[in-house]
Amino acid sequence: MNLKFHNKKITGILTILPANEIKFEDEMLNYNFTAAKSLKLKMAMGYDTHRVVEGDTCVSDLCVHGMDYLFKNNLLAKDDIDALILVTQSPDHIMPPTSNIIQGRLGLKHDMICLDINQGCAGYVLGLVQAFMLLEQECIRKVVLLNADVLSRKVSKRDRNSNPLIGDAASVTVVEKDSCDSEIFGNIRMDGSRAEALMIPAGGFRLPSSAETAVMEEDPNGNFRSRDHLVMKGDEVFNFVQQEVPPMIEELLQFSSCDKEDVSWYLFHQPNKFMLNKLADKIGIQREKMPANVVEKFGNSSGVTIPVNIAYNLGDTLLREHVKVCMAGFGVGLTWASLLLDIGKLQFNQIINF
Amino acid sequence: MEELLEKLAEILEVDELDGVKKFVDFEEWDSLSSLSVIAMLDADYKMSMSNKELLAYPSINAFCEDVLSRKK
Repeated sequence: MNLKFHNKKITGILTILPANEIKFEDEMLNYNFTAAKSLKLKMAMGYDTHRVVEGDTCVSDLCVHGMDYLFKNNLLAKDDIDALILVTQSPDHIMPPTSNIIQGRLGLKHDMICLDINQGCAGYVLGLVQAFMLLEQECIRKVVLLNADVLSRKVSKRDRNSNPLIGDAASVTVVEKDSCDSEIFGNIRMDGSRAEALMIPAGGFRLPSSAETAVMEEDPNGNFRSRDHLVMKGDEVFNFVQQEVPPMIEELLQFSSCDKEDVSWYLFHQPNKFMLNKLADKIGIQREKMPANVVEKFGNSSGVTIPVNIAYNLGDTLLREHVKVCMAGFGVGLTWASLLLDIGKLQFNQIINF
Repeated sequence: MEELLEKLAEILEVDELDGVKKFVDFEEWDSLSSLSVIAMLDADYKMSMSNKELLAYPSINAFCEDVLSRKK
């Protein structure tokens, strides 16, 4: 699916990270492996520290904290927000929508639209696409895209496959109409037949949580998790990314008549350093153009790794300059989506702690 | 065949590779070695294989023969 958007721009990105930082070594004893084997994994995959929420911190807590920061610092005015999109797979409640909860907590106006979107790894890209589409309406001048997850709360501490790399985070992205004649290109693909590669089996309506689903079971690799926990099939995800993402990027570049070399940065979702390095090689770009350092410092916070990536690696640069970037998210669903756009002269692009 | 066996020996952390053995027979075999083999196949042999498929080979020799016959 090739998409084209006109006269839309991102004007600010704020990233919120939990202050709580855990080191890989401090959790090693929880795993059913020797320290030597675990350290080998740490080196190969690129793990080190990750940021996770404490207690029962929810997505709305992280988002409200970020929004309050913007209001206090006069970077955003409440009444200017015509649409509030929240992309999350860890809502506060099954109902009401968490975007409405946030609307209520912030005292936003009634004359607006709030939307929850259940998407993960490709969620930031899909959220931006939704924001661009909403801005087609004359009455919608400013969209706030929230992307947040607290999935560490759904990962087993004895699962060495997932625990070291999971992270929590939230981001606030302001999207507006652009008076300049700008074009943004997008490419989206999805395949639900491979949905079971990344899932939380219990807790929905198909298999409600119960005493049985909470039982910890050992998998063939020696990891322990219950059916209430996240499970990822590493080899399937690796093969999926290597097979599907390069053709998507190629199609995006062709559709936009852009050369691989003309893209300054490939700001991709961060599953882990190992996979991103292999992906950069496969696409045929220098590894330096595809930052892969988010997981080792902060963890994989699903869709939010893209704004974390942008804030951490490009920071102040984006306040001063304009750069051509390719964003891509890929994973749960299975979904894979990308955007080619110019981004820059942002009002803000920073990280704050919760 | 030599080249592929060498790459496998490195991943499995052995000096001499006994091709009659299966992947799981090696002491160092775990999900990380599996992913390393999968990544190597993708990068150097342009083919993709799942962990399940890897484990189905009766021996490393059988695996190598199959990979080389399918190599593009």
